[in-house]
Parts: sequence; structure tokens; C-alpha cells
Amino acid sequence: MAVEAGPNPVQPRSELLERVWTERRGVFGWLTTTDHKRIGILYFVTTILFFAAGGVEAVLMRTQLAKPEGTVLSPEAYDQVFTMHGITMIFFFVIPMTTGAFGNYLLPLMIGARDMAFPRMNALSYWIFLGSGLFVYTSLVIGKAPNAGWFDYVPLGNKTYSPGPNIDFYALGLLFNGISTLLAVINFIVTMFKLRAPGMSLNRMPLFCYAFLAVSFALVFALPPLNTALVFLELDRRIGTHFYDAAQGGDPVLWQHLFWLFGHPEVYIIVLPAFGIATAIIPTFAKRHMVAFPLVALSEVLVAFLGFGVWVHHMFAVGLPTVTTIYFAAASLIIVIPSAVQIFAWITTLVMGRPEFKTPLLFIIGFILWFILGGLSGIMFAAIPFDQQTTDTYFVVAHFHFIIFGAAVFPILGGIYFWFPKLTGRMYHERWGQVSFWVTLVGTGLTFFPMHIVGLLGMPRRQYTYAPDRGWTGLNLLETVGSYILTAGLLIMAANLIWSRFRGPASGPDPFRGDTLEWSIPSPPPAYNFVVIPTVSSAYANWDTEDRAQDVRRAQRGEGLLAAGHETPASTPMDGRFDELLQMPSNSPWPPLLALTLLLVFVFLLTGHVATAIVCGGAAAAVLGAWHWREPEGAA
Amino acid sequence: MSAPSSRARAAVPNGVFAVGLFIATEGALFGTLIASYFYLRFNSTRWPPAGIPRPDPTLPLVLAAALVLAAVPLVLAGRAARSGRRGRAAALVGAGTLVQAGYLAVQIVLYLNDLDDFSVTSGAYGSIYFTLLFADHAHVAAGLLLNGWVLARLAGGLSPYRVSAVRVVGWYACFVATVGVLVTLTQVSPS
Repeated sequence: MAVEAGPNPVQPRSELLERVWTERRGVFGWLTTTDHKRIGILYFVTTILFFAAGGVEAVLMRTQLAKPEGTVLSPEAYDQVFTMHGITMIFFFVIPMTTGAFGNYLLPLMIGARDMAFPRMNALSYWIFLGSGLFVYTSLVIGKAPNAGWFDYVPLGNKTYSPGPNIDFYALGLLFNGISTLLAVINFIVTMFKLRAPGMSLNRMPLFCYAFLAVSFALVFALPPLNTALVFLELDRRIGTHFYDAAQGGDPVLWQHLFWLFGHPEVYIIVLPAFGIATAIIPTFAKRHMVAFPLVALSEVLVAFLGFGVWVHHMFAVGLPTVTTIYFAAASLIIVIPSAVQIFAWITTLVMGRPEFKTPLLFIIGFILWFILGGLSGIMFAAIPFDQQTTDTYFVVAHFHFIIFGAAVFPILGGIYFWFPKLTGRMYHERWGQVSFWVTLVGTGLTFFPMHIVGLLGMPRRQYTYAPDRGWTGLNLLETVGSYILTAGLLIMAANLIWSRFRGPASGPDPFRGDTLEWSIPSPPPAYNFVVIPTVSSAYANWDTEDRAQDVRRAQRGEGLLAAGHETPASTPMDGRFDELLQMPSNSPWPPLLALTLLLVFVFLLTGHVATAIVCGGAAAAVLGAWHWREPEGAA
Repeated sequence: MSAPSSRARAAVPNGVFAVGLFIATEGALFGTLIASYFYLRFNSTRWPPAGIPRPDPTLPLVLAAALVLAAVPLVLAGRAARSGRRGRAAALVGAGTLVQAGYLAVQIVLYLNDLDDFSVTSGAYGSIYFTLLFADHAHVAAGLLLNGWVLARLAGGLSPYRVSAVRVVGWYACFVATVGVLVTLTQVSPS
């Protein structure tokens, strides 16, 4: 288990590294930071704010639907609120929370690196993400938010039916956001292939990292169809092209193909990091190795890969040829196999271990429950007649909320509890943590389960109200009560963590006896992460007691400190042998400046000032040139 | 861990690795664009629509071949840079840049000529035709900017960073050449 080192035997070494790696303090330090942990914290705080905004939107919708003919929201306001809820939760909460916050903070720590492969690009991805979020939310402030649903079907999204700037905020905002995501995932892939600690061959990489690697590759190939769809949409709206105009040879169904070619891999992009979090938490609390490690790793990769072959199951009601729909129905069934492999592995690991039911594990058990339920209704959609019958009803809303809230957000909540001590150096309150779990679990079930029934009763989604004689009133009221309970659960969790941040007892470096390398270092981690770069001989590096003791001895001898600058080793991609020494950059003003100029580009494109946008694009190129003018020493 | 200078790096540099991933995503972008072209085409009864001339394949094919040729010196420049021959690397980058610039100049003339006959608003055909070609030409233009940047940096000598940059422009040249060929074949494909 972890090496508990009493009086710090390596203090002189760590003081030296502290001097080398500590960044500037204050606001300027945060603005110019390139430290993956600080960037992870920035992502965390920002995405939590977006989560709160998306949550308020959800509660507004549920309050509107609590009774028939509600008057809390006007039809137009309801359209904007449900569209913003979807966009926010997917593009500004779940993806940036998992890849941006969890990925940034944890991946370098788990693989034994001192930073990401491209620290400044990492900062740039955050500032662009922030800019894109502010860009899209400005639309809500001025009452012109996107209002055609998160998948923005044409022709509703065309200029004819949506003449205002609402859809332009959507298209340009998501294009801008996509740049951030792309930069982040390229950084993750290179980091995981090249910055792993010596000895960490690919088969010794933690399953958490495999999940993030699969997601990163999926995003590299999933974003281009979305970007293409969005560019076509903006060209149709701005200069009168006819990509989606059936009267001029275009086809609205092209939008659906392009969108879902992104959108279905996106579902797995959302849940795969959650799988990764589960595979980090379960072995720790079950106190045993993960069952079927290679199969789970393979399944994570397979899910991401097969996710590209199922997009048409979102389009069964479009009227496509039967042979096409049958192929995609079969593909939708096949993807169940790798998903089920993981479920069996998680459950078996728990059953064969000695599980300690603390708050993080409770949330993971909740996740497994929701994922099974949501997965079962997902299989039902592979039955084409059933899908056609329930398309655009609340049954679909119930299914994807079990998946997105139950199977993606529950692990996020569990992960927040799990790594809270690492982040803050303090323990959360266990009893209140468990209370927050049970309240959230009950709230989730009450909110989303009745939606299956009202969906089967025929209640359509995306409508701002319903008539009192439809028989949907009681179930809708139950859903609304559930949403309030769910909100209460989240507020209890927030209160617990805020209180614990300041008053919680000290956690020490490894309160749960975790299996990965982040638990081998102090909490919160120092700026340099590791006094000496650890050597790794298994996928459960922190349980390899002798290896960790060896790290301490090497540190005491001053061996492999790498303290001549911001140094971290790069290794060979497959077998993790030391390859070269890298000099990492420190504080830099260029990422926020570049993000600002790019924000101006998108703002002027939105307002139709194309010439000014081009000038800002030139300014962005100049900033990029200035950024790269001074070459990092020894970098290649 | 051995000293950094005592042995050669075994793996591809991080920067080159990242550019490879960037090229992969750009490749997916062109895959989507070309797929959209054929999607619209196969949903159309007449392609190109009445009144729009079929593109003459000769010159676009010759130009695509020139773009492929331009990639050769740019790839060789990477090898020269790795073996420390700065002058040769710069000359090869310059040669590749000249051919690419010639390609782009002729393509812009052709593009403007096409715009005399029909436009992006001439139905779905005009929309995808001009968008696809614009995306292709924009990537060649971006490559020229990269080449110019690398040439400017090579004037100050070689460094590990610049060697990677030269390798990157070689990779990128191969990418735009491949895309150029695919876009041209799409553009001139039989009705």
C-alpha cells in the first residue's frame, strides 16, 4: 500500500523542486497558468457554474410542466430554456467536466508525469472553452438563445423558420467550443502515449486512462462531422447556399446524418469517462484488482469504435430504406456486448472483493443501476417499430437521462467525492456524503422513471405545456417533485464539500488506499507532482509497496530529481521506456490572449462584420507567431 | 534514467505526434465533405444541374499531380534537417513552396472562372462544389504560411524545435497532396 512517510525524508529535494515549479500567485498567475492542476481546477469551477445554470433551466422546465397549462415560461422562453439545457449539459458540463477537469487534473498524476505534453495548449483549450461558454450564454442574457433543440434540426434551424441570431449563436458557439475540445484531446493522446512514467507500458496504464484515451480518439474523429454540419448551416443561413434546402437539390436529412455521426459517438464520449471513473473507484473500495483488466480496457476502446457505426438509430422515424435501418439496428445491439463486459467486470470485482460502501462507491453503484436501466431501454430502441412508436416522446427523454444523468453524472459526483481529498487535502463529511447520495438517487428515480410512462402514454417532448385531460398530470407532478429532491441532493453535496474544504479533517496523501500514482504524493499535490519520477511495474502502481519505497530512497539520494528546470521525461509510446528529457514551459500570457482574439473573430462573425473578423483572425495569427517566436529550450 | 544527450530519441517527437493527430482530424473533415458531396449527388436526378457545365478534368488532374510532386521536396527537407543540413533543408522547403504557390495561384484563377459560370447559390451542386474546393485551397494556403514560417526560422539556424517544424511541413504537404487528389477526383468524377 502507499508509503506513509512521517517526517518528510525528502524535504530538501522537494523544496528545490518547489522553487523551480511554483507558479506566480494572484490573478495574473491564474490567468497565465500552465499547470495542469490549476487548469483542471479552472475547468472544474467553470463547469460547475454551467452545471448550475443547466440545473436552473431544468428546474424551470419541470416547474412549468408540474401542472397542465402552466404559465411559468412562455412558449418561446421554454424553447430557449430546453435548448440551452441540452447544450449546456452536454457541451459545457459533462464533456469539459470529464475531459477538462478530471482529465487535466488526474491524467498526468496517474501516469507519473509532471504536466501535460503541451501545457500552453492546455491553457488555450480552457480559455477557448470559457470564451465559447460566455459567447453562447450571452444569447440567453439578451433573450436570443438557441431555440431549436440541442440537435437543431433543419429546416427549423434555417433562416426561413429561425430568422433571428439564436441559431447563429448555436452554430458559431459550438464551432468555437469544438476548437477547445480538439486541442484538449490531442494533448491527452500525446500525454498518455509519451509522458508515462518509466516502466508504465501500455498494458500497465490505469483503466481510467484507457477510457480517456478512447474518448480522445473518438473526439478526434467525431468533431469533424459536427463542424461540417455547422459550417453548412451557417453558409445556408448567411450566404444562401442550399445544403439543406430540398427545393434546390439539398437535403435536410444530410444535417441529421452529419449531426448524429457526431452525436452518437458523443453518447459514448459522455459515458466512457464515467466508465473510467468507475474503474478507478471500484478496485480501491473493493480492495482488489479489477476483474478482467484486459477485457475491460479492450471494451472501453471497442465502445468508442463501435459508437461510430450506430448513428442512424436516431433516425429510424425519418423514412430511410429498411435495409439501412436494419443494419443500424443490428449495430446498436452489437455495442451492448462491450458495454455488458464492463458491467459484469464491475459487479464481479465488487462481489469478489471486500467492498467498503463509502460515498464514492455508493455513487458508482447508483451509476451501475442507472446504466443497466438506461441500457435496457436503449436496447428497446434497436427494435425499429418500437423506436418509431416512441420517437419524440418522453420515453426517449427518460432513456437518455438515465444514461446521461444516471450513467455519466453519478460517476462524476462519485469522482468528485473520491478525489476531493486529493484536491484539497481535506476529507469530506462521510455521513452527509451518504445522505446526499440517497437523496440524489431517489430524486433521479422520481424525476426520470415516470417519464417512461408518460412517454408510452404519448406525451411528446419539447412542448411547453399539455392539456389537463390527457392523463399526464399526476406523473408530471411526480417528476417535478423528483427534480426538486434531486436538486436538494446536489445542494447537500455542495454544502458538504464547501464546508469540508475549510473545516474538514486533514486527509493525508492516501485516505482510501487508492491503487494509482496520484495517491502516492501529498494532498494537495505539489506544483511539481513527483519528487522523483516514479518507476512502475504494474497497473496498480500505488499498491506496489517496494516500488514506492524505492522512489523515496531515490529521492533521498537525489537521484533523478530533474530539477534543472521544468523537466519531465518522455517515454516510448508502447513499452514506456525512458526516451528523452523535456523542458516544459511555465506561466504564459499567450493562451488567454489568443483565446480572446479568437473570441473576437466569432463575435464579429456573429454580428456579420466579416472584414473585422478577418482582421481579428490576423491578430490571432500574430499572437500565435509571438507565442512561438521564442522556442522552448531543447524542445522538439 | 540516462542523460538526455547520451542517446538518440527513439519515438516520434511530441510536436510531430500532435500534428499527426491534427492531420487525422482534418482528414476526417475532408472525408465528411466528400461524403456530403456524394450524398447530395446521389440524391439528385441530374448532376451537375442543367445549365452548369461539367468540369473539364485535364487541368485539375495536372494540378493535383503537381501538388503531389510538391510534397517530395518537402518530405526530403525533413530528412535533410534531421541530418543537420540546414541549407539543403531550406532549399527543399523553398522548392516545395514554389510549386505549391503555383498550384494555388492557378487554382484560384480556375475558381474565379468557375464563379463566372455559376455560384455557391446555384443549388446544392454549386454549394458543395465551391465549399469543397475552397476548403482544399484554404488548406494549401495554410501550408504555404507554415512553409514561410519554417523558412524564416531556418534562416536563424537549426534547432531540435526547427527540425520538428521541417518534418511537420513535410507531413502536412503529404496531407494536402492526398486531399488535393481526392478532392480533384471528386470534382471531376463522372456524372
